Amino acid sequence: MLVPYAANVDVDALLDADAAPWRSTAPETIAMMGTPVGLQPTGAIRAAWTGKKIGAVERITVAALHTGSALAFRLEWADPTENRDLTDTTSFADAAAVLLPSTPASVAMTMGAPTAPVNAWYWRSDADGGRHVIGEGIGASRTIDVELVRARGVWKEGRWQVVIARALRIDTKEPVAQLEVGAKTGFAVAVWDGANSERGGIKAFSGDWRELVLDATKLARG
Amino acid sequence: MSEVKRQLAMVMDLNKCIGCQTCTISCKRLWTRDEGMEYMWWNSVNTMPGLGTPKDWEQMGGGFRDGQPNASRIPTRKEFGDAWEFNHEEVFFGGKGSEAHLQVKGEQPEWGPNWDEDQGAGEYPNGYYFYLPRICNHCTHPACLEACPRQAIEKREQDGIVLINEDRCRGYRFCMEACPYKKIYWNHVQKVAQKCIFCFPRIEQGVANACARQCPGRVRFVGYRDDQNGPIWKLVDKYKVALPLHSEFGTEPNVFYVPPLAPPRFDANGEIDESQPRIPNEYLVSLFGPRVLEVLATLKGEMTKTRAGQKSEVLDILIAYKWKDMFGGFDRDPASIEWKKT
Repeated sequence: MLVPYAANVDVDALLDADAAPWRSTAPETIAMMGTPVGLQPTGAIRAAWTGKKIGAVERITVAALHTGSALAFRLEWADPTENRDLTDTTSFADAAAVLLPSTPASVAMTMGAPTAPVNAWYWRSDADGGRHVIGEGIGASRTIDVELVRARGVWKEGRWQVVIARALRIDTKEPVAQLEVGAKTGFAVAVWDGANSERGGIKAFSGDWRELVLDATKLARG
Repeated sequence: MSEVKRQLAMVMDLNKCIGCQTCTISCKRLWTRDEGMEYMWWNSVNTMPGLGTPKDWEQMGGGFRDGQPNASRIPTRKEFGDAWEFNHEEVFFGGKGSEAHLQVKGEQPEWGPNWDEDQGAGEYPNGYYFYLPRICNHCTHPACLEACPRQAIEKREQDGIVLINEDRCRGYRFCMEACPYKKIYWNHVQKVAQKCIFCFPRIEQGVANACARQCPGRVRFVGYRDDQNGPIWKLVDKYKVALPLHSEFGTEPNVFYVPPLAPPRFDANGEIDESQPRIPNEYLVSLFGPRVLEVLATLKGEMTKTRAGQKSEVLDILIAYKWKDMFGGFDRDPASIEWKKT
């Protein structure tokens, strides 16, 4: 995906999924798949999910814009139920995340490794904010902060529209993805359907890294 | 878990439990008064036979079968009994006098944490029931800990207490699904799973658990499994009169029960009939396993001995002549400590 440059746009404005720059940005449709039950990190989860549908969301559209200093993803997918309310013990939140490699050797399918982590920008409907996560293997993710990733989700007419954004470069010792305009990296996306009790490793994901390049030349229209 | 150096445990003598719920309330007052905890009863007491709390939990699966995790489900708030809200404002301050009476606001509940109290089973004059208090079993093979994909549950090396680390917990609730005793709750405000902590802040100060210390019936014994001077080792290992609940769930609980004896049956003529027990053996076996019959025979034998004027150490322990002897050294008075909330 070639990410257009949105000139003179503040990243805050892009958190609105209806903002003008998004209207002129063509999204990519990505087929999603459920995570394999055999890769779930504990025996109890494998026992619980064997024979059940994992990954209720089968298709997602992804658009992205960068401002020169920040990168925003706009995710949209069909979901007949808005799951934000976690009052009952059996209610789970809809959620989405963008995954980026923290190193050239990072592997998306395994959620990273201790020597080659991945960096997730995570949004969950009940909190409706961002969460900055480092993954160092299946079942080994940790939140490093809840400020740097900005995210907002709106559900209307059976669809989620979620924008997840972060500064390209972060001053930190944590193994986060440091992005550069013009350089080639990868991304993956994941979606959790709360109505299907999806949480943790039980999710729909886009598979191996897809190419991501922040366009250094063209300006986005509009 | 092999890394555990010592294991704290509890024995509850079901012959002494009067179902007063003082344990339940002492736990509630101490630990589950915050927002999101309204429906939680880390300690519960139910009439048995009965559907229990949460409703029909014994049929929900979980734990291990043939050493492998056994699928289950998360009980709903309604099945737990939920938290009822009452019209206190209207009754006490509404100016309606005797016209307003105390009632549950909104939708009327169809289940509660002790809904089938004292129903029991059997036909008059041979009806029967007993009370079953339950807390987290702080299992040796905790299904909750093994189910968690975030390593958010730990079993403490020094005493085997199983704790949820709320900083690691992301509210996935795989633990609630896996626990076969259904003793883990969901806090929808904090968005974490919560459960009995075996009163570890008290234990660390030498004070027995609130449920044990407050029990008017002297039902609960506390201490280390391997303390040969304490009550747990004597009741579980030396005299073998205390058994885990549903050991077939495969988690190796560290709460043990002295099973209930019952009065004899009456026959059709109203005469005492000792030929069969009032509480059916198969029911007790279904709860405590086949050894329960040996335990009941041991207890009856010890009672016969004392009637003949002989001494019985095991009955002396169970009677708990000295209250403090029940707590395996954790007998410090909590009022003597200045507690700080951290």
